[in-house]
Amino acid sequence: MEERYSRQIRFKQIGEEGQKRLADSHVLIVGAGALGTAGAEGLSRAGVGTITIIDRDYVEWSNLQRQQLYTESDAKLRMPKAMAAKEHLSAINSEIHIEAYVTEGTAETLEPLIEKADVVIDATDNFETRMLINDLAQKTKTPWVYGACVSSQGMFMTVIPGETPCLSCLFEQIPVGGATCDTAGIIPPAVHIVSAYQQAEALKLLTGQKEAIQRGFVTFDVWNNSHMKINVNHVRREECPSCGANAVYPYLQDWNTPKAAVLCGRDTVQVRSESLKRIPKQELIKRLKTIGKVEANAFLLHIFYEDFRIVIFNDGRALVHGTNDVKEANSVLARVIGL
Amino acid sequence: MIKILLFAGLAEQAGTQAIEIDMEQATTDEIKASLKEQYGLESIDTAMIAVNESYVKENTSVSSGDTVAIIPPVSGG
Repeated sequence: MEERYSRQIRFKQIGEEGQKRLADSHVLIVGAGALGTAGAEGLSRAGVGTITIIDRDYVEWSNLQRQQLYTESDAKLRMPKAMAAKEHLSAINSEIHIEAYVTEGTAETLEPLIEKADVVIDATDNFETRMLINDLAQKTKTPWVYGACVSSQGMFMTVIPGETPCLSCLFEQIPVGGATCDTAGIIPPAVHIVSAYQQAEALKLLTGQKEAIQRGFVTFDVWNNSHMKINVNHVRREECPSCGANAVYPYLQDWNTPKAAVLCGRDTVQVRSESLKRIPKQELIKRLKTIGKVEANAFLLHIFYEDFRIVIFNDGRALVHGTNDVKEANSVLARVIGL
Repeated sequence: MIKILLFAGLAEQAGTQAIEIDMEQATTDEIKASLKEQYGLESIDTAMIAVNESYVKENTSVSSGDTVAIIPPVSGG
């Protein structure tokens, strides 16, 4: 252990004591895409004792350009990302414990995992799951690091329950209709900057150095050379439904979760979502045009994406044709709309 | 002069990252409405607003010399 972590122990803010604390720590990584694999690899090498990783997808060829743990063989075999990640992480560091879950991150699946974690790394590709993490983190008093990236841009913010503002303080509603990696593309440096910050924040929290965390919301564009830290200290609200005095954890409530149903015999999944309703239709059409031909009428719009046909109704329903799997349908909608 | 900084998709849609508005005083809602109309930035309503690098939630007055950053949250990961 001494030799393996010697350069990290020599870093005086970590030292022997910090390294021991890392070995006794447990990090939950939600999502095993670009941010998830970068964060998992970094924290595994750093010697975090237990890493839990949860993801609903399998490895595809378009992932290899930035999702650093995966190989061509994973893509050929369509390996579930969580399992492939576990295999590679175990080869990188056999001294730590990796738990992998191939499932969708929901209130039910995430709550027991967050309860056991010391820090949560957000590596999801959608705001529905982020808001769930935000509520569960408040409920279980677990610090977490929001992170997101698209094209050459990224942003992150560390949330410490009881101390910093939470994501609901910043966004009263789920931010919808933002660019996704499938519509606006993504370059690896944007991923790695966000992940590097997330890992640094995790190392500070796990070694008991809360005072060192970045207090603020950071956003950057590595292509256009901009970087801005926004002061958010005053944004914490007493009446915040997620972290205020009378928190109700709105995203853990049934009415707020997207409803998905398999339509029998139709090879179709229907997803009903309150936030889908709020995306301006023209905006959605403009965005989806980068993926393929969008056909729209007064009631719905229609687009082909990979092997799927997606129909989005004005009333907040989306039909994903070409699958009977709710997980897969949610994954397609996350990639296409960021839902 | 009020300086507007656009981030992420908003900058791409507007074709510029920085815009200067020749006004002494305006509110953040007025600025958003005018950018929405001028550049067709439909998604501006869900964006975060920071005035002089400090987050503002409510409609806020800004004056000449202030910098207003408009940041749409991104969801990729």
